[in-house]
Amino acid sequence: MPPLLEVQNLQTHFGTLDGVVRAVEGVSFHIDAGETVAVVGESGCGKSVTAMSIMRLIQTPPGKIAGKILFQGRDLLELTEPEMQAIRGKDISMVFQEPMTSLNPVLTVGRQIGETVMLHEGLSAKDAEQRAIEMLTLVGIPAPARRVREYPHQLSGGMRQRVMIAMALACSPQLLVADEPTTALDVTIQAQILELMRDLKTRVGAAIMLITHDLGVVAEMAQRVVVMYAGRKVEEGSVEDIFLHPLHPYTRGLMGAMPKLGSSLTTTGRTKLTEIEGQVPSLRKPIIGCAFAGRCPEVTDVCRRMAPAIEEKAPAHWVACHYAARAMAAA
Amino acid sequence: MFAYTVRRVIATIPVMAVVALFVFSLLYIAPGDPAAIIAGDQATPEDVERIRESLGLDRPFLLRFTEWLFRVLQGDLGVSIFTNLPVSHMIQQRLEPTFSLMALTLVIALSFAIPMGVLAAWKQGTWIDRLVMVFAVMGFSVPVFVVGYVLAYTFALQLDWFPVQGYSPLANGFGGWLSNLMLPAIALGSAFIALIARITRATMLEVLSQDYVRTARAKGVGQRSVLFVHALKNAAVPIITIIGIGFAALIGGAVVTESVFAIPGVGRLVVDAILRRDYPVIQGVVLMFSFTYVIVNLIVDLLYTVFDPRIRY
Ligand SMILES: Nc1ncnc2c1ncn2[C@@H]1O[C@H](COP(=O)(O)OP(=O)(O)O)[C@@H](O)[C@H]1O
Ligand SMILES: [Mg+2]
Repeated sequence: MPPLLEVQNLQTHFGTLDGVVRAVEGVSFHIDAGETVAVVGESGCGKSVTAMSIMRLIQTPPGKIAGKILFQGRDLLELTEPEMQAIRGKDISMVFQEPMTSLNPVLTVGRQIGETVMLHEGLSAKDAEQRAIEMLTLVGIPAPARRVREYPHQLSGGMRQRVMIAMALACSPQLLVADEPTTALDVTIQAQILELMRDLKTRVGAAIMLITHDLGVVAEMAQRVVVMYAGRKVEEGSVEDIFLHPLHPYTRGLMGAMPKLGSSLTTTGRTKLTEIEGQVPSLRKPIIGCAFAGRCPEVTDVCRRMAPAIEEKAPAHWVACHYAARAMAAA
Repeated sequence: MFAYTVRRVIATIPVMAVVALFVFSLLYIAPGDPAAIIAGDQATPEDVERIRESLGLDRPFLLRFTEWLFRVLQGDLGVSIFTNLPVSHMIQQRLEPTFSLMALTLVIALSFAIPMGVLAAWKQGTWIDRLVMVFAVMGFSVPVFVVGYVLAYTFALQLDWFPVQGYSPLANGFGGWLSNLMLPAIALGSAFIALIARITRATMLEVLSQDYVRTARAKGVGQRSVLFVHALKNAAVPIITIIGIGFAALIGGAVVTESVFAIPGVGRLVVDAILRRDYPVIQGVVLMFSFTYVIVNLIVDLLYTVFDPRIRY
């Protein structure tokens, strides 16, 4: 069976006044039905742009998207805007990082959730409100019949993110793209939202593309991990592979502060991606050699001259590093 | 909501009081002896004295103001020096053309300006945007009477599509009413359209970059609904504000427009009154226009709460 989503050699560039920003440069990965795939990497490495490209929410121009985004076998990049509108919110929906600003302040919560089902399932306004109440119940908002009539400013940040999730799941999508859904929330609320997403995932059966900074979240939620750096995929593997046998020095850098071995998978303490020495390279210039060479503790001349190809070093464990074999031997 | 409305209405009382005081003082702010000014250059001393008495100028200011205010509150705006008719009666007879002109102007202005502004914001940087902006700058910089004469010359005199001037009451048929008012309303509305189109464009540009617009798109909402439902409702408050502020200019413009197109409205009445120095009529009209302006801004205040639930009563 073909995967639910297959991204092939995605390139998203932005034309700006001082040159082309190569935000995503040849990223490929896939997500199977019902699977949760985490996308991790430092800020600015192209995670959001990848997500927005899949949703086709990048403004073109200044943006320019190339490659293939196959969803259920159809290339989303080939679809017309109306065809894409029929997919957004129905087959693929998205939850954003900023719950405080992502809801429309002048429309009621019920209206905003109901709109999705009115659009995609042709429900009447009355039935849509009923569905909105059901969705609010599902995401654990108390007194949903009253809340549907309220406006976003009457809700807390955690509540708003629940509303966003309710909205995203209202049409039972096949794929939920969640772009740092908990980053803006308090730690206790973060745990609740994650719990909710895990619970709903088993009920709705949606696949999740989970973008996060937070390795604790990855360990709790995902089956597979895609590690991105400077608009490229540098490593991909199962959660166990990535946590226990990271092959790319960048991935190892990210894991730096994590407690070693299996304990990391069960620990509930969250760990942010650790700071790695040095600067992320500019995306405005083509990068020669390995994108991580400037910061890599194990860098050699080869790295500076030649970009490593991404290769499957172990079953379903991909890495783009000239010295992956050495890392494997050490692991 | 009701309590808020009552509070807003009460808040207009001091404003109206200041307006009334100003309107009453008009006569005295003008330099020189008001009685002599009213009587004009050719008046005999007896004429001046008669006018002085009829205006009650020999009695204390505050006493006269209080008396005048009480009469105004009862709907008595005094008697015209020129025609000897009650001012309230004279204004009443002229209200329909003026309110018709303003209403039609508002309808035309809003139904053109808002789509224009929205379109320009959506197509930012394209020739559509530039066209709208050029129009907005022009509409704003060409005076009402110039637009009026150009329109009258082209569409009335040359093409004969509309009457050149005059007014036909609504009671005599909608068609005649509309064709008489069409050119004046467009002339009066051009600056207003420009103003509203600009503010709509600017506000929409800001709103369209907000996260919730992205959310709407991510839900599969179509372009039209994104623009006119999700975005425009958020842009409503600045647009309504500018409509309220611009209403003052609309009143001033109406006076000019009525002169250009010979519409027998309140504007013409006040122009004639100024030429004849008919102070009671001037006072009455200014008071009426001020009152209208205060009411319009009261409505604007109440509309805020309709469009933005975050604005608390
Ligand atoms: N509209 C845009 N125009 C120009 N550059 C952009 C645009 N959107 C994103 N970028 C750039 O693309 C890069 C990746 O951004 P993003 O995907 O948001 O990173 P993150 O991994 O933190 O989500 C950043 O360098 C950012 O500046
Ligand atoms: Mg991001």
